[in-house]
Amino acid sequence: MSLRLKQLKLRAGAPSGIDHEFADGELTVVLGRHHSGKSALCRLIAGLDAAPAGSLFIDGIDISGLNARLRPVAMVFQAFVNYPNWTVEQNLASPLRARHRRRGRDTAHHQGRGNGGDAQAVARRVRMVAESLQIDLLLDRYPHELSGGQQQRVAIGRALAQDAAVLVLDEPLVNLDYKLREELEGQLRTLTRQTRQTVIYTSSDPLAAFALGDRVLLLKAGEYVQSGRPVDVYSRPVSLVAADLMSDPGVNLLFGPDHWLAVRPEHLSFKPPSADATAFPATIVERETNGSETFVHCRCQDENWVVRSIGVTDAVAGAAATLYADPANVMRFER
Amino acid sequence: MQANTNKAWLGVLPVVLLVAFSAVIPLMTVVNYSVQDIFDVQTRVFVGFDWYRETLRDPRFVDALLRQILFSSLILVIEIPLGIVLARGLPREGRLLPLLLVLLAVPLLIPWNVVGMIWQIFARPDIGLLGAAVNAAGFDYNFTGVVTDAWVTLIAMDVWHWTSLVTLLTFAGLTAIPGACYQAAMLDDASRWQVFWYVEFPRIRSVLVIAVLLRLMDSLMIYTEPFVLTGGGPGNATTFLSQYLTSMAVGQFDVGPAAAFSVLYFLVILLLCWLFYTSVMGSSKGPDPYDEDGL
Amino acid sequence: MARITLNGIQHRYPGAPDATLKGIDLVINDGEAHALLGGSGAGKTTLLNVLSGLSEAFAGEICFDSKVVRFGERRNVAQVFQFPVLYEGLDVRGNLEFALKNAGWKRGARHERVADIAAKLEIADLLNRRPKDLTLFQKQLVAIGKALVRPDIALVLLDEPLTAVAPATKWRLRVMLKRIQRSLGMTMIYVTHDQTEALTFADRISVMDAGAIIQTDTAQALYERPLHEHVGYFIGSPGMSFLNTRVQDNQLWLADTLLGSTDAAPGLYKLGFRPEWARIVPLNDDHDIVLTVERTRIEHSDRGVPFGLMNAVCDGERLHTRQQLNEVGSVTLPAQAALKIDIARCSLYRDGWRVDGLLGGLLDGHAVG
Repeated sequence: MSLRLKQLKLRAGAPSGIDHEFADGELTVVLGRHHSGKSALCRLIAGLDAAPAGSLFIDGIDISGLNARLRPVAMVFQAFVNYPNWTVEQNLASPLRARHRRRGRDTAHHQGRGNGGDAQAVARRVRMVAESLQIDLLLDRYPHELSGGQQQRVAIGRALAQDAAVLVLDEPLVNLDYKLREELEGQLRTLTRQTRQTVIYTSSDPLAAFALGDRVLLLKAGEYVQSGRPVDVYSRPVSLVAADLMSDPGVNLLFGPDHWLAVRPEHLSFKPPSADATAFPATIVERETNGSETFVHCRCQDENWVVRSIGVTDAVAGAAATLYADPANVMRFER
Repeated sequence: MQANTNKAWLGVLPVVLLVAFSAVIPLMTVVNYSVQDIFDVQTRVFVGFDWYRETLRDPRFVDALLRQILFSSLILVIEIPLGIVLARGLPREGRLLPLLLVLLAVPLLIPWNVVGMIWQIFARPDIGLLGAAVNAAGFDYNFTGVVTDAWVTLIAMDVWHWTSLVTLLTFAGLTAIPGACYQAAMLDDASRWQVFWYVEFPRIRSVLVIAVLLRLMDSLMIYTEPFVLTGGGPGNATTFLSQYLTSMAVGQFDVGPAAAFSVLYFLVILLLCWLFYTSVMGSSKGPDPYDEDGL
Repeated sequence: MARITLNGIQHRYPGAPDATLKGIDLVINDGEAHALLGGSGAGKTTLLNVLSGLSEAFAGEICFDSKVVRFGERRNVAQVFQFPVLYEGLDVRGNLEFALKNAGWKRGARHERVADIAAKLEIADLLNRRPKDLTLFQKQLVAIGKALVRPDIALVLLDEPLTAVAPATKWRLRVMLKRIQRSLGMTMIYVTHDQTEALTFADRISVMDAGAIIQTDTAQALYERPLHEHVGYFIGSPGMSFLNTRVQDNQLWLADTLLGSTDAAPGLYKLGFRPEWARIVPLNDDHDIVLTVERTRIEHSDRGVPFGLMNAVCDGERLHTRQQLNEVGSVTLPAQAALKIDIARCSLYRDGWRVDGLLGGLLDGHAVG
């Protein structure tokens, strides 16, 4: 199902609301720094907070006033939130069982189906989710007996098991080691493709937008910045803020009298990439390498710049250097 | 589909009713009494603030109030540092710890009047373990006859009864301090005193505020123990506000003055606690910790 | 500053079945920035505690220069923790000069030293502020300043110092740390599970796993010549890709495809390569290494040309390449394609460990130039 935000304000007093549609079955990465309103958006969608202004529609139906428990939305938090005194199996099954109980209450007057069928369906669903997240061998364990990665898998599994129309993941992998992050990112991508859910995934890492997102939605200080396919937003940022959010490390900046020039670290090099390349004189400050890439930190017209290049590049701190960029990669923003 | 409602407010209703019946209504009754002179059920005269004026001019009230403040100050000055010292002396882990904690908690579990009884016997100069021992050691000691002895005994009893509370609260605060803080201080060559003052004290401050508040409020209301131990004597030397109030309200059945007294008493406690709390908890709000300079 | 030597350090927690440190031998040079890199449970924090004097090793010795330092003995070590540990009651200046005061420094000398360190860390304008008025980034800078302020410090330990800092500011803090390390010539040991931090910060990195150091080397060497498959997997994002190969008559074979020449002994090996050393191209002829491309993942783009990772399955093994993504064309995935590997840069692994031996590509142009 699609989820539409109509003039939705993330915090009271925001000058303008957000209009955006999360299309059916797509994964949207909501990208922003701390306090950009990512978590606020998640909480509004899940119904944990009331919207200061504006409304939310799922398939055209206004859900703004709907109680969180009744919304077709599942959510995973940044912290590993599980029921500590329940096993993994009970944790995974808890939202399903709660739903069956609720439905049972609503339809208590006509005893259509026995509980046996329900219980079997729950067990089947739990097993399926556990297998897909590779926690099926841990079903009898308690959360405190699991590693961080396994705990977060259980939390994700609990959200997936609900088979809700909309799945909200609020920086779910940020507290994990990067190798685990790599692995879980891949699994999440595959799983959500299979379930065809509408997924909202928040992050501050532009690589996550490329890795996971069908679309990306950029937020800054509670305001809408830009949205679109990650590669389009990357190539054609509407503003300096958008360019910077889709860059890690951030974009390199120069201040003109009435404009900014911005170049992404990966578009700078020490050799001219083309005959008409733009040249920037700079001084080398520091060099970092991780074996596959080198980051050279420079000062260019009193600004801190970073050059990112593949392989190991030599650079001597304190030396003068000329940085080059293809004119097509130099972004210009009017003030 | 079911919409959000304000039904949840109904859940608060029992608490509101409970507070109304347990606190607000009785208090208002007392305020009502305090501005009337009641001869019998039919005959009441509105007297305004007369009872208040009278109470404030009553030298026995003023004496009791001063005694009360002295008592509270003394026990705070002793119990808070002592409690901190004991808490710092406790091991942070190990098999001994649960046992020590239970031992510490024992005095807290004893009813007030029993505490009074225990100390009354314990401190008797003729047969009491403490009283007899002190006398045998060559000190002339008699808490029923000598004012200083009575005070010393009373304070010793309160310290025995309540220091554990401060210790337990402080201990809980201390165990929440991350090990890294101690490690950093160790690497800085900090002395024991520096570790306490710069590492521990700032982090147990809020717990200590709670401890002081609890002890302050409680000691201002003290009644049973001195009633059992000294009966307010010798003379009126250990008669505190609550005892004087009781003798006035129950003993002499002066409902009007007693009500005015009660209101004043209540205001004194409120004022002292408020003064303490606001002076300690200066409003302090740091910047947004994630604030970044950037775009 | 000092040269730190570890000889056969072993450690075991009371009651634990396995040793947490299984004989660590390591020499950290005077003025070196060293990193201990490993996942949780690798033993890096235990090693840090042994160095700082918090934990006792049951075997082995630690030397600061030529002096053996025993457990319980004072050592001139400073530490920066995951979260900024400051004296909340003191202002920034008070925090920075705390250790100097305890060491008996005079007021004038103290102020001079504090001003010097504060200038290097660019916190000179914060000296009169209280910790509660600082951002996390600034607090951690002060905590770093606190660790560096004593000139007689022999070793600075950094325990995941960037954990608390917002991702966007990590770059700045790390570069600042690196610069001050170099300008003061400090010996530093940086403990982390984040490879980017370890590799970019340190001159040399020790990769730890299960209480042992698997390899100590520069970032480049770890990336290009990992001694163990685990290092190959752990370093790099994504890690090294491996193919099952066999050596026969000095020839390296992947199933029925000849990959190149080698002087390794005959037998079964794993061929390890980095994503940058291989390319996936459209199928061309019968000698191609055939694989199935399952996913592509854009990392950035240059003048409209997408660049990033290709994820493929070849002979049952999953592998990654990093390249321009338009080479295979815009076909629907999964799709069949051919793999070109720069064999000369790859390594062979047997029982997990790297095998010394020369590898050479074929002369007929199958290898990437």
